[in-house]
Amino acid sequence: MAQASQRIRNFSIIAHIDHGKSTLADRLIEYTGALTKREMEAQVLDSMDLERERGITIKLQAVRLSYQAQDGEVYELNLIDTPGHVDFTYEVSRSLAACEGALLVVDSVQGIEAQTLANVYLALENNLELISVINKIDLPSAEPERVKQEIEDVIGLDASEAILASAKTGIGIEEILERIVTMVPPPQGDDEAPLKALIFDSKFDAYKGAISYVRIVEGRVAKGTRMQMMSTGKSFEVTEVGVFAPSMRIVDELKAGQVGFIAASIKNVKDTQVGDTITDADKPASEALPGYRKATPMVFCGLYTVEASDYNKLRDSLEKLHLNDASLIFEPETSIALGFGFRCGFLGLLHMEIIQERLEREYDLNLITTAPSVIYKVNTVHGEVLSIDNPSNLPKVDQIVSIEEPIVKATILVPSEYVGAIMELNQEKRGAYCNMDYVSTSRVRLIYELPLSEIVFDYFDQLKSRTKGYASLDYELSGYKETDLVKIDILLNGEMVDALSFIVHRAKSYNRGRKLVEKLRGIIPRHMFEIPIQSVIGSRVIARETVNAMRKDVLSKCYGGDISRKRKLLEKQKAGKKRMKQVGNVEIPQDAFMAVLQIED
Amino acid sequence: MPSLYVHVPFCLQKCDYCGFYSHSLKNSSSDLISVYLEGLEIEMAKRQKDTPPGVSSLFIGGGTPTVLSELQLEGLLGMIQRYFPMNPEVEQTMEGNPGTITVEKARLIRDLGINRFSLGIQSFDDDLLCGVGRVHTAAQAREAIARLRSAGFENLNLDLMFGLPGQDLRAWQASLEEALSYSPEHLSLYGLMLEEGTPLFEQYEVGNDTNNTRGCLKTLPNEDQQAEMHEWAVRRLGLEGYRNYETSNFALPGYECRHNLGYWRGADYLGMGPGGVSCVNRVRWKNIEDVCAYKNLLSEGKSPIDETGQEVLSLQECMAERMILGLRLESGVHLKEFEIDFGTDLRDIYRSVLERYKDTDIFIVEDEYFRLNPRYSFVANSILQEFV
Repeated sequence: MAQASQRIRNFSIIAHIDHGKSTLADRLIEYTGALTKREMEAQVLDSMDLERERGITIKLQAVRLSYQAQDGEVYELNLIDTPGHVDFTYEVSRSLAACEGALLVVDSVQGIEAQTLANVYLALENNLELISVINKIDLPSAEPERVKQEIEDVIGLDASEAILASAKTGIGIEEILERIVTMVPPPQGDDEAPLKALIFDSKFDAYKGAISYVRIVEGRVAKGTRMQMMSTGKSFEVTEVGVFAPSMRIVDELKAGQVGFIAASIKNVKDTQVGDTITDADKPASEALPGYRKATPMVFCGLYTVEASDYNKLRDSLEKLHLNDASLIFEPETSIALGFGFRCGFLGLLHMEIIQERLEREYDLNLITTAPSVIYKVNTVHGEVLSIDNPSNLPKVDQIVSIEEPIVKATILVPSEYVGAIMELNQEKRGAYCNMDYVSTSRVRLIYELPLSEIVFDYFDQLKSRTKGYASLDYELSGYKETDLVKIDILLNGEMVDALSFIVHRAKSYNRGRKLVEKLRGIIPRHMFEIPIQSVIGSRVIARETVNAMRKDVLSKCYGGDISRKRKLLEKQKAGKKRMKQVGNVEIPQDAFMAVLQIED
Repeated sequence: MPSLYVHVPFCLQKCDYCGFYSHSLKNSSSDLISVYLEGLEIEMAKRQKDTPPGVSSLFIGGGTPTVLSELQLEGLLGMIQRYFPMNPEVEQTMEGNPGTITVEKARLIRDLGINRFSLGIQSFDDDLLCGVGRVHTAAQAREAIARLRSAGFENLNLDLMFGLPGQDLRAWQASLEEALSYSPEHLSLYGLMLEEGTPLFEQYEVGNDTNNTRGCLKTLPNEDQQAEMHEWAVRRLGLEGYRNYETSNFALPGYECRHNLGYWRGADYLGMGPGGVSCVNRVRWKNIEDVCAYKNLLSEGKSPIDETGQEVLSLQECMAERMILGLRLESGVHLKEFEIDFGTDLRDIYRSVLERYKDTDIFIVEDEYFRLNPRYSFVANSILQEFV
């Protein structure tokens, strides 16, 4: 037994978006023959269209490779892929916890980025053996020596042994595989000890139920085992265990050191939470593996259908997505402006965008999305603490003692010439400076505390545009802070449109209120009557614009040869109007509800 | 009795805003006109047999029918009279453009029964004309009016356009005042529309400068300026005794275009020639827009209809058209006629629409008619949409 696990290596890949992780993974799969070239298509691990289009991994994947090393032995290499985005830091940490080693892939042109660094720290916390891979060395602008130096300076790893590779052309692939075998320690763990399996991902299958993707840390599990979730105590009978080779293949049992899946006819992915420990109900482990926490949504928005009749379809679609994604939460809400919809919580902005896009693409829904909000804590005069995830639910001013907003600790890595620009941006975004250090001669790490609401507003876009895309950002929630916040409401033709309300710092309220009404004036089409647009705080109007009444909207001629075409033109215009939301007698286009994000401070 | 429309798909040169089917004689041989006339004769012979005798009015449009030579015009009008004979009292309109109307042509067509002429002036400003690709001048327009009047035309329509690139209110007023000085019986005032597929659309909507103006595009008047031009014209023409009897049309009492009123009141029509559209008993079809194919099909004894453009109108579509066209008329939709044609009162069919607007002054029911408050006629689209 012990001998078998000596030939297992569990590893993951740490890389920034675009640094070539998926291509490298594909190449490793191809080299070890897990798939033939013809089966490969492209980028096996990024299996969702959306992931392939954006070149990022959203959903974790795992794959087992069989590699005959130069020592003549055949090794079982388990690659556990990680999602490459700040929204999914917790998922990454659990994937890394399932491994003994990681490939640190750095683009030989761009160098180390903030998210890479954040993940390296996670890997070091989990005591992973790191193997540096400098990728894309086939590019003419590659600077492997500079990047090596950066790895030594920033991370403190000895980069003299770093592998120079090009996943695209196949350079260095064998060396990487050899290094995994020789450097990454084989898994420890006793087959005979009570079962401890770490869930690093889960997936819902219509026939098998919620499937847990696991690393067996100790013990063994087979069909028929009565398994138990250590966070909830719920138990299930195992119906199948298997490995990813790379598609799911059933095996007789999984034992300490191995990576695979466990199916147990579990109805809900909520019962297979990432980070939880599975044990054997008949021979339970005394304590769970460390590091488990529940996924907590940070960003909220309202999702509504353009057609009221699609409401049930939206609910069903959200439920289906939720089957595979326990971190997505939603509950019904009602807006005066938008009707029946859902308030949805997401891990972050990317997560939100992905869910919206999948609902529209895979479920063919036509959605109206309200601007994202964070959760505010409101202390009321009655001594209650309310969690407000929808600005329109903020109590009246005279009911509020204070409002607290979520603060994140943000790490920004940026070439030194942009330090000034970043500091200015952070100043504008109400950031508090914490620290700054040079990670190499030309790159700086800045640490700030920033209100999450400012990050949600337009921070990413500003960061990108002010640093020509060279800055990278990582952040984690650090706490709540009392702030002087106000709610701005928008009145259209005298009627409040609840879905347009937003919460903002008092110092910025006048400016944002004014800019939003200006923006809305451009978005709301002319009607048969004049439409005043007002920004108000409480009952005080802070800005006003007017959409003038329509003056010309007519077909100039309409004779015999043209009647069908003109009738169809009117039909088309009517259909276009149906896509708008009617509040009072004002028709509001979909993009108006996101307009608050398009204004600049 | 249906009306008769004959499409003449030829022009000296196509205007930059025009989306109608027409050949520029700059690029095609004049033999094409002979091919056209041959095809038309076969079509008329055939259609005469399929249709009960008699037509309510005639409109020869295009294109520019007056680009035909005297001989060709004689052939065309002779042919029409042969297959669809009309009394002199029947309204018989021909369209034409300045620069193509000789003294002889004007006399000839008047003598052959044409009793109404519609002249495409568009503007009396040469720069504005040139800016939209019109090939004639204001001087030629004045000359054409004089020739038509002296040939005996006592029912003359002048087409004018507003909203032209670079046009301002004063330029528009000047053109309209000059038009009025010729005391036309009828005026059609069209706001410029950017139709997909036209050079002007490419220039202004797509940004492709097919006319190679090297970025010196003149500004298009905005919505408010266009509305001012229209509103000024309505007031001015009202003072002169013209009635704004349809959104874009103005006439002295008794000179409303009967042919066009037929379209707006839902009457049947026969359209002949390539690109001609017919609508009879709720079936609408269109001849193919290709002179040679049109003629070849007809000489082989086949139908020249463009199969893709054929529609059988549902009752609902028919009613919708009656409303959207009828509400363009000052008089509105005749309640009894609607009930006779569709077997139901329009106030029942469109109850929910009327309910929605009951607190507004948009609709007026008066003297057996259902009509649009003229105050809203220039912003009618969003209201007309309610009926489609």
